[in-house]
Amino acid sequence: MSAPYVPVLFMLALGFGFAALSVFTSLVVGPKRYNRAKLEAYECGIQPTPQAAGGGRVPIKYYLTAMLFIVFDIESVFLYPFAVAFNKLGLFALVEMVLFILTVFVAYAYVWRRGGLDWD
Amino acid sequence: MTAVAPAAFQQANIDYLAVLPLLIVFGAALVGVLVEAFVPRERRHTIQLTISVASLVLAFVAILFATKHQGLTFGYTDGATSRRLFALAIDGPALFMQGALVLMGVLGILIMAERFGGVGSDAFTASGASTPGSPIEAASARAGLITSEVFPLTLFAIGGMMLFPTVNDLIGMFIALEVLSLPLYILSGLARRRRLLSQEASLKYFLLGAFSSAFFLFGTALLYGYAGSVYFGDLSKAVSDTSLGLNGLLVAGAFLVFVGLLFKVGAVPFHAWTPDVYQGAPTPVTGFMAACTKAAAFGAILRLAYVGLDTASWQWQNAVIIVAVLTMIVGAVLSVTQTDMKRLLAYSSIAHAGFVLVGVLAFDQRGVSSVLFYVVAYGFSIIAAFGLVTLVRQDGGEATHLSQWAGLGKSHPVIAGTMAFLMLAFAGIPLTSGFVAKFAVFAAAIGTGGATGTVLVVIGAVCSAITVFVYARVIVLMFFSEPADDTVEVLVPSVGTTFAIAIGTLITFALGVVPSSLLDLADRASQFVR
Amino acid sequence: MTSTAEAVAFWILGPLAVLGALGLIFARKAVHAALGMALTMVTLGVFYLIEKADFLGVIQIFVYTGAVMMIFLFVIMLVGVDSSDSLLETIKGQRWWSFIFVIGLAGLLIFTLGQVTFDAKTVQAGMDRLVANNNATGNVTGIAEKIFGQYVWAFEVTSALLITAALGAMVLAHRERIVPKRTQAEWAARRVKENQDVAGLPAPGVYARHNAVDTPALLPDGRPAAKSVSRVLVARDQVARTDGYRDVERYIEREIEEGRQK
Repeated sequence: MSAPYVPVLFMLALGFGFAALSVFTSLVVGPKRYNRAKLEAYECGIQPTPQAAGGGRVPIKYYLTAMLFIVFDIESVFLYPFAVAFNKLGLFALVEMVLFILTVFVAYAYVWRRGGLDWD
Repeated sequence: MTAVAPAAFQQANIDYLAVLPLLIVFGAALVGVLVEAFVPRERRHTIQLTISVASLVLAFVAILFATKHQGLTFGYTDGATSRRLFALAIDGPALFMQGALVLMGVLGILIMAERFGGVGSDAFTASGASTPGSPIEAASARAGLITSEVFPLTLFAIGGMMLFPTVNDLIGMFIALEVLSLPLYILSGLARRRRLLSQEASLKYFLLGAFSSAFFLFGTALLYGYAGSVYFGDLSKAVSDTSLGLNGLLVAGAFLVFVGLLFKVGAVPFHAWTPDVYQGAPTPVTGFMAACTKAAAFGAILRLAYVGLDTASWQWQNAVIIVAVLTMIVGAVLSVTQTDMKRLLAYSSIAHAGFVLVGVLAFDQRGVSSVLFYVVAYGFSIIAAFGLVTLVRQDGGEATHLSQWAGLGKSHPVIAGTMAFLMLAFAGIPLTSGFVAKFAVFAAAIGTGGATGTVLVVIGAVCSAITVFVYARVIVLMFFSEPADDTVEVLVPSVGTTFAIAIGTLITFALGVVPSSLLDLADRASQFVR
Repeated sequence: MTSTAEAVAFWILGPLAVLGALGLIFARKAVHAALGMALTMVTLGVFYLIEKADFLGVIQIFVYTGAVMMIFLFVIMLVGVDSSDSLLETIKGQRWWSFIFVIGLAGLLIFTLGQVTFDAKTVQAGMDRLVANNNATGNVTGIAEKIFGQYVWAFEVTSALLITAALGAMVLAHRERIVPKRTQAEWAARRVKENQDVAGLPAPGVYARHNAVDTPALLPDGRPAAKSVSRVLVARDQVARTDGYRDVERYIEREIEEGRQK
């Protein structure tokens, strides 16, 4: 069995336990005086509507953010083994990694300059 | 079990001169992205065009130098097992394909850059993100927005295409497949006119392309399970070493990998995307795809069939024979019923893919050289043909319906004459490159393909005859019928487009009259390294 | 050999993975299907870790469950959570034909792959080699040596894919501004110049029991101030009425009454 992952498992259990405990405690201990406003779903300061506005579609600009996240997520996939084996790999791998990061940052520069990072 | 001693990290041996053409093209694409980021909009188009053409010409020169540096590179020979683990095979077929792709790419980019007096490329939308027909779209066009990203995207596609026949392992082949496909999916969706059709084409191409990539990847996994390696050399050797019990992996793996590659050339039954995408994509992109994607994919098919799975050919040969027959028949028969110029050329390209497959199935060096010759001959003709399609207009949009081409021979004899000549080349009439190409492929199939080769050639000849009818109909329509209405006009192209169409046509003619120099070159370039 | 711990983990996680996969297919709501898929992905990641493929396990959770699942959810949200597929067949009998072909392909693959027989000794030798490699070099380090050694070209070319992805997302989804955006200073300057709303637009209404941005402030005469609500909410017709807040006392009493009854 993979012993190194037991602490991770323990951490997970701890996290779940803490969350469950908090919810349970507030259920038991907390005072409960309801009114209509409290029972309504919180909708960022506007009246909740039965259907999501616009059929629940989010604007396309969220997609751009998601895509950029993926790009840099995949970059970090390569950074992970590189970092682990750094001592063994030597200068050649460092140069390769820097080249890789630079090329991906070309895309970053493009997105930044063309306003892809501005929200509106 | 003895523990394996931890081997020291082994660095890849790299012959930079051998990979210089690839580095130039990818580097230029990166510079193109930087230009998009930092150069003001008004100057982007000119700068991008200059960078693209200059880098491709430079890459061609580098390819000439790389011929002196042939061999395997970007990897190492494993000390313990003396397996040759190299990512790239710089050899005759690879360099020949790279050269052809770079030159066809130049013509493709010149046609893409056609502006007809506007601010940006005429074929591409001002704002790809705006809803078709929306006020924002119109405002973007008025404000002078341009999508000059198409140039770096095309360069990335060309880089991937150059890589496709060059790679020496299945993982590299998959990455090359994606590098060449992704830009094409985007380019297909950026047409300036009839944008919904274009976006539909892009989506269809993307979805089906993603499926075919998945097939390829699944096949790769199975072949890895069979041979324990993804390198073509190991794969070829594994057929004699591996126990028969694993044969199921080999058969299924080879089948799936071929599906992935045959999709890219538009072979039946993996052709469903071709007519829709060819019709919906911006016409210069269609021409570029028809010429370059096909060439690159056939390069990859050759390497897989002749280097990776050559020893196992009896496992997959019959399936590919059936595909070749179907491709020729379906392509030829369905092109008869087409009424749209771009769809007609799409089905014609399907039929041509079938003819090239006949050459692949010759399993001989002559087969390789005939395929190399065929994709070059066909590529230059089809780029010129789609270039001509961009010129014929009605009410500003392209007039792609065949009835709109009626009587064009009387009003615009040069354009119609050039188109007719290219049609003759597609039909395979003597004195055009199409004849020599078909002859070379069929001769190779008869020479070494045995009885199946002969049967394939007979079917190929019949299908050629059917397609002759299609092309003849277009020629008759252009020259011997009255124009339906005279609002159809032909735009005057810029120097770049004129040059591209002229070169494409001239090469079609030259390869028909004096094919020997290119045939010789293809012959000398038909030896794979292992 | 399979250890007890491995077997226990498998029998707990295996059904979970299958459950997630079934949820993916049968869930009525697209978001639920996506969550089912996330469950399957995480479970697979744990399987990889158990099988001593550390790198693969981490990447499975990291990339697939994190990034790819996020893209899935975004795509669902772009299409609209409530939208459903059109079951109209554009080609007659399409569904049946595709069903037949899928069964055919699956049958063909299962038949060919089913014939494969693995030599137990070879498999064991391979597993031993993997374990030895993991012990000697380490799983992640071994992967690193491959990525930066023999596959370094593939690694570098992947960056071309990433750039294309970013470029494509920008070209297809980013609407470039046609006129530059007004800064706050420019807005202020313009207000002063036109002598309108020089002190800024009025804030939305703040009441004892409601201070949402959708409620207009009240003018001295009790009419709602139209300018105090965001244009977006007006366009969406999401502005709340202020009638209830004018008779404040009655409103508060009603609320308290409601609270008592609960």
